[in-house]
Amino acid sequence: MSSPATTAPETARPPETRRPPRIPLWANPRLGLVVLLVALVVLFTALRPAFLDTTLTLVPLQSDISVYAVVGLAQLAVLSLGHMNMAVGSMASMSAFAMGLAYDRLGVPLPVGLVIGLAAGALLGALAGLIISRTGVNSFVVTLAMDFALVGLITILYTRFTDGVAFSGQPAGMTTLRNDTFADYCMGEVCGPRIPLIAPIALVAALAVGLLFRYGRLGREILMTGANEKAAELSGIPTKRRVLQAHALSGLLAGLAGFLLAANNGAFSASIGDQFLLPSFLGPVLGGTLLAGGAVSVLGTVLGATLTQVIYKGLNLLQFQLDELKLYIGLVLLVALSLDRIRHVIGERRGARA
Amino acid sequence: MSAGTMVETPAGGRIRRATRRPEFTLALLAVAGFAALAVATDGNLLSGGTLDAFFRYLAVPIVIGLSQMVVLAIGQMNLSVGALTGLCSMVAAWLMLQAGLPAPVAVLGALAVGLAAGLVNGLLVVVTRINGFIVTLATMTIIEGLRYGVNGPDTFQGYSQRLRDFGRASVLGLPVVFLAALAVAALVAVFFARTVAGRHLLATGGSPFAARLSGVSNDRSIVLAHGLSGLLAGAAAVITVAASGSVNSSIGDDLLLPSFAAPIIGGVALAGGVVSVAGTCLAAFLVRLVDVMQAQFGINPRWIDLIIGAVVLGAVLLGTVRQKLLRRSS
Amino acid sequence: MILSAEGLVKTFPGVRALDGATLRLAAGSVHALLGENGAGKSTLIKILTGVYRPDGGRVLMGGAEVHLAGPLDAQKAGIGVVHQERNLIPEFSVAENIVLHHLPRRFGLVDRPRMKAEARRCLDLLDLDLDPDMPVAGLSVAQAQLVEIAKALSVDSKVLLLDEPTASLTGDEADRLYGIVGKLRDNGHAVVLVSHKLEEVFAVADTVTVLRDGHTVADAEPLAGYTQDQVVDLMVGRAYASVRLPERRVDPETPAALRLREVSTARGHRDVSLSVRPGEILGLYGLVGAGRSELAKALLGLDRITSGTVEVHGRPVRIRDVGEALRRHRIGYVTENRKEEGLFLDQPITRNIGVTVWRSLARAGLVTERAERRVVEEYADRLGIKASSPRQLAGQLSGGNQQKVSLAKWLAARCEILIVDEPTVGIDVRTKAAFHELIAELAGEGLALLLISSDLPEIVTLADRIAVMNDLAVRGELLNDHDYGRMSQAIIRLIHGDAR
Repeated sequence: MSSPATTAPETARPPETRRPPRIPLWANPRLGLVVLLVALVVLFTALRPAFLDTTLTLVPLQSDISVYAVVGLAQLAVLSLGHMNMAVGSMASMSAFAMGLAYDRLGVPLPVGLVIGLAAGALLGALAGLIISRTGVNSFVVTLAMDFALVGLITILYTRFTDGVAFSGQPAGMTTLRNDTFADYCMGEVCGPRIPLIAPIALVAALAVGLLFRYGRLGREILMTGANEKAAELSGIPTKRRVLQAHALSGLLAGLAGFLLAANNGAFSASIGDQFLLPSFLGPVLGGTLLAGGAVSVLGTVLGATLTQVIYKGLNLLQFQLDELKLYIGLVLLVALSLDRIRHVIGERRGARA
Repeated sequence: MSAGTMVETPAGGRIRRATRRPEFTLALLAVAGFAALAVATDGNLLSGGTLDAFFRYLAVPIVIGLSQMVVLAIGQMNLSVGALTGLCSMVAAWLMLQAGLPAPVAVLGALAVGLAAGLVNGLLVVVTRINGFIVTLATMTIIEGLRYGVNGPDTFQGYSQRLRDFGRASVLGLPVVFLAALAVAALVAVFFARTVAGRHLLATGGSPFAARLSGVSNDRSIVLAHGLSGLLAGAAAVITVAASGSVNSSIGDDLLLPSFAAPIIGGVALAGGVVSVAGTCLAAFLVRLVDVMQAQFGINPRWIDLIIGAVVLGAVLLGTVRQKLLRRSS
Repeated sequence: MILSAEGLVKTFPGVRALDGATLRLAAGSVHALLGENGAGKSTLIKILTGVYRPDGGRVLMGGAEVHLAGPLDAQKAGIGVVHQERNLIPEFSVAENIVLHHLPRRFGLVDRPRMKAEARRCLDLLDLDLDPDMPVAGLSVAQAQLVEIAKALSVDSKVLLLDEPTASLTGDEADRLYGIVGKLRDNGHAVVLVSHKLEEVFAVADTVTVLRDGHTVADAEPLAGYTQDQVVDLMVGRAYASVRLPERRVDPETPAALRLREVSTARGHRDVSLSVRPGEILGLYGLVGAGRSELAKALLGLDRITSGTVEVHGRPVRIRDVGEALRRHRIGYVTENRKEEGLFLDQPITRNIGVTVWRSLARAGLVTERAERRVVEEYADRLGIKASSPRQLAGQLSGGNQQKVSLAKWLAARCEILIVDEPTVGIDVRTKAAFHELIAELAGEGLALLLISSDLPEIVTLADRIAVMNDLAVRGELLNDHDYGRMSQAIIRLIHGDAR
């Protein structure tokens, strides 16, 4: 204390600070995910050795993980605020539509179309953020209503501008992005690993989002807004702008996911994004991001998305129907969350006893 | 109530208070919309068949909206309502066709499955302390898997004639299933307005801490709300099975969003503590009105999603404006 | 004795909150329960109301031991409580809130007429003329407080615990409340009063129990035998020496750092004129509801200023938000409501202090942990923030340390003008003294300080000049000569004298 003269001796006073219960390493949800992941890979390989087949399984698996990790990040961008984006799917879809239109009608090169699509996604997200921050209406309601509206709009737009399902025109490089891996590119004798070309795009996105929330002023201020909006405002953070920016980021990432899925499927179609909502929550939640806001885990989100896709792929190899898969995904989610909770409780008890 | 107290309350004040309620606006909108549509269709809407279909397909949206509303009352959400309605429908059909049980048993079976799934949701929320949104997200996917597991991709049809007759019957020109939905709504209204459990449930939604200090068990309220939500999803399933004549594993896929739309347009706050049975029913009526309009004029059904989305947003914005005005005037 | 609690022990992780504490209450008396923050008052109350189970000791009602396993048990035993936080359901009516514990039933349904009659009876006990059908959301703070008392009485409680009942009431409202407390005493209730405001305690209470470090150091003694200073000594555990602050001199020629000229706001402030120089502490005194925090928030752009000018270092300015106030004008605001507005309880100390400096630390939009840590540690050291590590969560700190964190973020941002709103509310006597010294030290370093406080001794100790505010306007300004008797009289006169 700065003024020892007026401070009485500190004896016989309850300690001013309570040590935070240290959560042991094994209670780290990320570590649990890694263990679970390894166990599942071993299990699936034992049951179906084809699980480790590169072209058949691993390459498409990596592509899927890339798409759904970005989908998870799109949700994570607003979970940081304690908000939700129920319109991730339709934002991805609108964004893919913008890209498809640009490629098909304007014939723009691949990167230009991508930028146009991402801008469309960011704009939609910003619109949601604007409504939320201006009116103070719950983000769930706003994005749910927006999803309703966009889903309708998308079908209408596709019927008007295409044969009803998908754009026929595609930019140069789209097929390469879809089919090639780095192994197709060689420098003399040395060829790249068998990693699909879209994987690094997702990786860069994850790194950028991680950097933003960990070291970026913008990301940190978004997190603080999520932790306590009133205190954030009184600490000089322009909270309304941060809400808008987080939602814009969510829209942008949704757009990127839409692009990656289109690259995977080989077409900009109306169905892009209609399966995004559930995985968008699965990744972050499995990875330990809470719905309360103020804290996010990018690594956890990527791991969560990986786990989900490994389960899908593995059960698929074991010839489960798609709808049956859902049963197991749901169970894994419940079990993982409950275990996480139990670990937490035990961790707290240990901390308390010490 | 004695006559004396009646005199004390100025009738004018009471009317003013009633007209300020969101339900009043919704009722006006519903009547005006219905009348306008009747005129626009040259009275076609009022013809026997059209009117009958209008109310018949209003039954499920009402009940499913209430099912969501019950959970919103404690400030949580139930994402599994749609999938659960589907599962209960499949179970009811399975009980009649595969297990050969009579229709009343199948009905009870559907309700029991709904109640059980709801209770499981509630217990999971209470025991794990995980956010209800996440728990029901997980159970939703599980239930979707189970729903498919009952009969795979195949359709159940040709079950109990009596149940299907019930689904098609009318009393005084109104479909029986619609009247059943109204009866369910009335029961839910009484539950929230007049039973101790219902009041406690609302207290939990309004302020969990204050409720606990008043001896209300929040855990019990949570389990009860989810259980009731599941039971109502079961009731929606019974109506679906009776009214549609055939069911398959896609039943319920298109119910989740409407389940939120009805209570939210109806003025139920997501924060909990407030419910409006009348508002939810009226909102379901309005949504149905838009549906019929689409059918009558052959509009691309996709416009309907767009319109409903806009209506939900508009309702919410109107609600905040109304609150601001009320605060300023008081 | 209507209630006696003997040898109560309660241990939390790392803290023994109660260590053999005793409380003995007689029917028909008002009993003060006093102690510093952390002395164990709240723990004792929570045990008596069934929120906590004690690790040792027992509670007797009318000589028979009672087991209080939950709030319902306490109610059945006849112990009613009004907690510090508001505990009413806003959407419910007054009547329903009062009888929520035991809603009367008829045929399985809530019996509304009986519910209302029962509520009416409880309201009558307090001479309260409230419409039982009115929703609680529409009540004033004082009315809600009284409804809570009615609620506590509805279970026929013989013992009524009031935890800081006047914390958010105006003077008149507090008087009315204590009038009711007197009536309850006359009706044979035992009322336990927990309050930080010793003046009030001495005016109302008959007997006193003082807790220190979980022990009872004064056990149901008649209050008449004590002076206020003696009670403070008991609470603190040593002879309380009033703080001697270093002399500061402010040159009256120094131009003002912050000046308000006839400022009126959308909140209803009228023609407020104030100024504060670098190195000076301007005390802004007023009762709760006088509009002082609201004035500060209007200054920061959170409310509209309708007329008048605000000058910073002689230049008229328009401030739109807190960020602008901080960046352009170096103005900081330490809020009175640190838990809701000042701190991010679930975030580490580093983030709580760093939040205002990220902008200046950022390179290409990125902040390194090291740069942040350097700044944070500098100010944590300087203010003597005690924590197990800089990563500790703000919510795990004691009240005094939390307040230091809340202040540190503005110092770290190098504020030149600091508005400090009720800096020592809910902080114990010892930490309070340290805080006063710190504030004087900051002024000594040249900061211009606007000190908002409803604590008369605090403002007379610290301020150089005192502006008195009442009813959204400044009633007058006094030069402080640090003579408590004279100053307090002059202040009170300003508040009440200008009623016309």
